[in-house]
Amino acid sequence: MQKIVEVQNVEKIYGKASEKQFKALSDVNFEVKPGEFVGIMGASGSGKTTLLNILSTLDTPTSGQVKIAGEDITKLNNNQMADFRANKIGFIFQDFNLLENLTAYENIALPLALQNRPVKTIKPAVMSIAEKLGLEEILNHYPTELSGGQKQRVAAARALVHEPSIVFGDEPTGALDSKSARALMDTLTKINREDNVSILLVTHDPFSASFCDRILFIKDGEIGQELKKEDVSRAEYYQEILDSLGTFAE
Amino acid sequence: MLNKLALSGIRHRIRDYSVLFSGLMIASAIFYMFMSLATNQTFLSSNSPAAATSFIFGFGIVLLAIITIVYVNYANTFLLSMRQKEYGMFMMLGAKSSKISRMIFVETFTIGAISTVIGSIIGIFATGLVSRWIISAMDMQVKHFNSFYLPALLWTFVFFIVIFMFSAIRNSISLRRSKVLTLLKRDSQPVKIKRNGVLKSIQAVLGLILLAIGYFALWYAGTNPGFIYLGIPVALVTIVLGTYLTINSFVTAVIVMLKRNTNYSQKGLNNFTLSQLSFRINDYTKILSMVSMMFALALGAITVGLGFNNQIDNVVNGQNYYDVQVINPDAAQQKRMKSLSIKTKDVYNYKTDGKKVYYRASEFKKQPVGYSQIDTKTMISSTKTTNNPSKNTNAGYELMNTRLPDQRTMEVGFVSDSAYAAMNGKETTTVLVKTNSFKNNLATIKSISKAEIKRYPALKNAGGDKYSAYTLINGFFSGLEFMGFFLGIAFLAMLASCLMFKILSGANGDVKRYNMLYKIGTKQKVLRTTINKEIAVLFSVPAILGIIHVLMGLQLFTKILYKPYANIEIPFAIFIVLYLGYYFLTRYLYKKIVLK
Repeated sequence: MQKIVEVQNVEKIYGKASEKQFKALSDVNFEVKPGEFVGIMGASGSGKTTLLNILSTLDTPTSGQVKIAGEDITKLNNNQMADFRANKIGFIFQDFNLLENLTAYENIALPLALQNRPVKTIKPAVMSIAEKLGLEEILNHYPTELSGGQKQRVAAARALVHEPSIVFGDEPTGALDSKSARALMDTLTKINREDNVSILLVTHDPFSASFCDRILFIKDGEIGQELKKEDVSRAEYYQEILDSLGTFAE
Repeated sequence: MLNKLALSGIRHRIRDYSVLFSGLMIASAIFYMFMSLATNQTFLSSNSPAAATSFIFGFGIVLLAIITIVYVNYANTFLLSMRQKEYGMFMMLGAKSSKISRMIFVETFTIGAISTVIGSIIGIFATGLVSRWIISAMDMQVKHFNSFYLPALLWTFVFFIVIFMFSAIRNSISLRRSKVLTLLKRDSQPVKIKRNGVLKSIQAVLGLILLAIGYFALWYAGTNPGFIYLGIPVALVTIVLGTYLTINSFVTAVIVMLKRNTNYSQKGLNNFTLSQLSFRINDYTKILSMVSMMFALALGAITVGLGFNNQIDNVVNGQNYYDVQVINPDAAQQKRMKSLSIKTKDVYNYKTDGKKVYYRASEFKKQPVGYSQIDTKTMISSTKTTNNPSKNTNAGYELMNTRLPDQRTMEVGFVSDSAYAAMNGKETTTVLVKTNSFKNNLATIKSISKAEIKRYPALKNAGGDKYSAYTLINGFFSGLEFMGFFLGIAFLAMLASCLMFKILSGANGDVKRYNMLYKIGTKQKVLRTTINKEIAVLFSVPAILGIIHVLMGLQLFTKILYKPYANIEIPFAIFIVLYLGYYFLTRYLYKKIVLK
């Protein structure tokens, strides 16, 4: 089976050769299979944001190879990268990043309009994802008229509407209260299960991470440990994550 | 320590500060340029026939002062938007708010003082350059005008010191009153979207009605000069209000319509651009209305100024039929005349006995004499010819001016060839030439006129030829034209920079939006196109309204100016080129701030 994400020997070094250099990532290797829900955990400064930026073509590795849906993204030029992001990737950000002068509907429709999809197909696509995420009632509202949880669900809909190969979440529950956070994670899990959407989540919150199938722990730019959920319940998995975090730091 | 930190903060944002500085320098330079005209009473009184000129310039000063205050206000908002986060951080780290407010006071005031001084110096040079350019381009005669004029400089300093003092006080109070959290998070304060469709449509209709009333008042005042004292204030109030309402509602309505057309709005970033615009227009209504009014005034000033230039031709052509007149031409004058592009050339001889002047009637039968007249009702000049000048006072006047000054007051007789031949007295030959175009042959005509004065020094004060009339009238209207141009360019520069600043001061808040669009896969090129479109609309809304205002406003001058709409493309072209310059500068600077 083809892998959705393949990362091989990725290294990222900041600073020019003549200056003091900082190695943000060193020899990172991992892969994500289709329909997998993977979490990347690590403390601040561990390199997880750098990794996410590289995976999402916002940054390029110093060396190594990154393939997404079979395509080597390190070989793309700027325009190809933009197209790649528009077609293959969905983003959910910590602070929602909705455009406050567009309604929820328009925010969700944005990625489709960007791809210049035929106008007729836009509405059905938006309505379908809105229904799945329970957003039908609020489609004509502006972001300022929505709660944090609603905003993040709109953002999730925007990330999913164009049926990307993979959805990247950057601390998606970071700005939510516990109830909304749980609702969002339940929604993401549902979409992952029912529609087989691959999700890669970067977080330092063990609760959010406990929804994943598999967690990669990153520390000082290296992936040190991997924790699979297997058949345990979410509550047990949460406990395992906490244990791992406790020992991983040592 | 804090001062040092604040200074290093400036160094890090040197690009933003250079925008701020150059904007403020432009403001003070323009203010000085304008003041160098407006406060120079000798210049005004010696270049303008109308007592109203001082009044017009007084009015101009008030307007410019208002724009400048608004302008500095925007620049100040721009400054505050750059600094509040940093100052908020200092306060969070424990700096006292009194200390912070003192720092922002010093910073605002210092920026103001430095830019005023440099700006005034630029203003002095710019005044010299612009005035020289206008004068040479328009063949103007302008007296008592200096690019360096001390009272103007002092006024500029005083004015700017006062407004910066107020800005500095306002900034320091605003920082002192704000909570630390508000300062740190101002960028992410939610934006409220208002919706009130019914009110907007009422506004749209009302706006268009008010504009119609205003335009009607201008037209009516133009055709009925008695109405002018009522017409102008009525037009001013209705057009200002109409402009405001139209921009606030009508433009929004157009945007909403475009948004509803999904075939257009759901393509690429069109919907985003439209939303940005509708959101901006709400926020920008005041400035856009002000800019369109100012645009109209500035363009109007240049157009009317050039209208006076057209007036020169009309008046000059009403004075003389012939472009050139030479008495007893010598070889040199003959040679000069050959280089003219001649339409008609008439040669008349006359004899004088010291009391009367005698022409041969037959000469006029063969070559009818041309004359010009001005219709006193329409003020439009026309030319005709006659072969019987004895019966025609206009033709008699035309002929009179072609003689030497001491023979002009003598009685004139038209006699038969035999009677003429029998007369003793000295014979004088006058060669009269009408060219294809007075303007195109101006250089040669000038040299012939100068040579004539050398040959007959009495002509120097008496004049009589077309070139002398032209010099006189050109001098008379040049002043007005110069003022119109100067006023127009100064206003334009000011209002366009105003709009530029308003747009740029919102740029920091847009960084996040564009960054998000970039992340979700928008190409840089698409982002740039979106920005270009958005700024183009913001620039063109006031321009279009302003142009309509001017076209309607010229109705006011139908009785005062000869053909007020003639050559209108020249001022419009000058204006649009300058305005486009500002548009390109704004979008360049905006992209520098917003995109990576």
